[in-house]
Amino acid sequence: MKEITVALAGQPNVGKTALFNLIVGQSIEVANWPGVTVEKREGFREYKGYRIRFVDLPGTYGLTATSIDQVIARNFIISGEADVTLVLVDSTIPERTMYLLLEVLELTSKVVVVFTKSDMTHSAGIHINYDLLEKKISAPIVPISIKSPDSIRSLLDKIIEVHEREPYRQLIKIDYGELEPFIRSVEEIVRESSLAKDFPTRWLAVKLLEGDRDLESRLLKRGEIEVLEKARSIRREAEEILKLTMPEAVAMKRFNKVIEVLQGALVIKGMPTKGRGERLIALLYKPRIGPLISMLLVLALFTVVFTINTGFPLNMAFESIGLRGLASFIEDHSLSHVVGRCFDYLSKLISSSISNSVLRSLIVDGIINGIGTVMTFLPLIATISIVLAVLEDSGLLPVIAASVHPFLRKIGFSGHMVFPITISFGCNVPGVIAARASPNFDERVRAWLTMAFIPCQARLIVVLAFATALRSLNGLMLMASAYAAALLVFIAVNKSLVIMYKRKKLYEEPELLLEIPPIHAPILRVIWWIAWNQIKHFLFKAATIIFLASLASWIMLHYTPSLTYTGDYSLSIGMSIASVISPLLTPFGFNESLAKSIGFALIIGFFAKEAVLSSIAIITAEEVPAKALNILGVNDAQLVFLTIFTMLYVPCIATLATIYNESKSLKIALSSIVLMMVIAYAISMLAYAIASIHS
Amino acid sequence: MLNLADVPRGCKAKVITVSAPGMWGTRLLQMGITPGAEIEVIENSSRGPILIKARGSLISIGRGIARRIVVELINH
Repeated sequence: MKEITVALAGQPNVGKTALFNLIVGQSIEVANWPGVTVEKREGFREYKGYRIRFVDLPGTYGLTATSIDQVIARNFIISGEADVTLVLVDSTIPERTMYLLLEVLELTSKVVVVFTKSDMTHSAGIHINYDLLEKKISAPIVPISIKSPDSIRSLLDKIIEVHEREPYRQLIKIDYGELEPFIRSVEEIVRESSLAKDFPTRWLAVKLLEGDRDLESRLLKRGEIEVLEKARSIRREAEEILKLTMPEAVAMKRFNKVIEVLQGALVIKGMPTKGRGERLIALLYKPRIGPLISMLLVLALFTVVFTINTGFPLNMAFESIGLRGLASFIEDHSLSHVVGRCFDYLSKLISSSISNSVLRSLIVDGIINGIGTVMTFLPLIATISIVLAVLEDSGLLPVIAASVHPFLRKIGFSGHMVFPITISFGCNVPGVIAARASPNFDERVRAWLTMAFIPCQARLIVVLAFATALRSLNGLMLMASAYAAALLVFIAVNKSLVIMYKRKKLYEEPELLLEIPPIHAPILRVIWWIAWNQIKHFLFKAATIIFLASLASWIMLHYTPSLTYTGDYSLSIGMSIASVISPLLTPFGFNESLAKSIGFALIIGFFAKEAVLSSIAIITAEEVPAKALNILGVNDAQLVFLTIFTMLYVPCIATLATIYNESKSLKIALSSIVLMMVIAYAISMLAYAIASIHS
Repeated sequence: MLNLADVPRGCKAKVITVSAPGMWGTRLLQMGITPGAEIEVIENSSRGPILIKARGSLISIGRGIARRIVVELINH
């Protein structure tokens, strides 16, 4: 079967994800683009004797890249790897979204244009004459709406038609007016260059005049410095004469062409009335009330997510007003408890059927425990993904980001970071990945370094257990102080980093530039597509790490330093490391053996924070954490120390792996450990001192 | 010279130059904020980002970037 490769290109928010899923259905393959952690999504569809391969490119506003994602989109489009390029235009804002289309049409004529959201044009008072538009851009146009997917077939027909027709056709001609003489001069020079074999010379000339970094570096790499120098001097000359920078002049001319093309083909009748969506945007944009509503909204959404998953904080709230029964009902029916119980049952079932003790321990404590850990995270990741998908698809996300921007700025973050930070309260792993939302590299570095200070759900579980073991101090107070401590540390560390950057004169004010798409009711299908994509990512990537970490912690618990199996944890690798670090714990009033046990639990906690509890359970042979801690003889002040320390001490191994993966810098990953260790030790010592006075 | 950050809410302005540094400038141009473009300021409080409408779409622009966009008011 003959194969056609089709690139899917479009600006952000034009409905590319929806169209891609609509075309290829379930056949999506997710991989990474070579060398980067940006996802590459491909899908296949068989049609009329062809196997059509669709490559979904990251959204990009134009062919000059402004982020890692966009470099990928641009490089794929200009590489010529695609037989046909599908360019998406948003029917409701054609003037702005046709810019990318024109840039692509300057480069290739093998283009099919899709006008998305075609069902929404009438309510916006927009009428488009597609036949006329097709003639003007000499490329086929297919209007498509996610609500009437029948037009997909005519889209596939057009793709095949464009693929089969003769290879060379006249490219679109944009009149660059007073720039033309300069374009012609650059074209003369570039004709001699080896780049002319790969790209149309006029396109090269325009892009070089714009100062395209990528093409310039290609010229440098090929040793064609002379071509580069000549092009640059023509650019300088043009800028001097026209009193405008070339990127400005070129973009202006392209938009003039868009307007010319749309003339007669686009009619906007009357002013569209302000819908509920626009009123909501206006409300969230109000100076003081907007950010307040945004934060309450985010808080409410995540409270619901957390409650469904762990029962917290609703269970605590009910307990504090005396509704014990209701509180424990919510907790027992939370997703993580249900999953936990299933796996407990499974391990009991299996352990009774295996007689070999090493094998039993490996399967029950190692493998099933590992899968269980992954599975208890899964509902959390799934619900957070769904909430985020709703916020993304409805268009609320960018408005919220814009409205809290002035607050985040104070600690060196832009509004882009609001979601990375919020998600981190659930789990730091997706939080660190989401930090990509910021286009500012320094801002991302600070996020990678400090994101793990945001207390995740795993830490919540540990801290809850410590709080219930308290004898005279108030548990709820401890919880509240632990969260306050973590947040204050997050704020203080970021503030200090900002001051440090400022001193070195490296500080760049966090800035915001976001498109605010219209707010609409989210579409279930689209939400599922976005969320499922995230969940799959977790299952394949993070889950592998978590699973391997669980196995590693099993080995540390069950093997001696000379690598022989032992059923006695006191002879294990973990314990021998613990005895090295135990002196660090003596300032907190632990005797030698207790210091070793606690050190051991903290080391295992590095693999996954909630493992602090399971290792205490192993040491004491007592499943209920509160009882186990009492058996060990840990007093209230020491529990305060443990709570604060666990909250702050180290990113878990999955987060650490993600920080490394995102930053590709061992230095940043290791710095995050050192930073957290030092701060955790200092703050928890302070907390211990205060608690010792009060208890 | 007037910049976008100084244009009050509800006013319309025409872009003269866009001199935001690095990628911000490129992205502004790609989003349609080019010399000659007409911009309507939808919200402009003294602290947060500015909300504008340009070429049919709403865009939120941080004040630092907005200050680098030189405009002139359009009189009706």
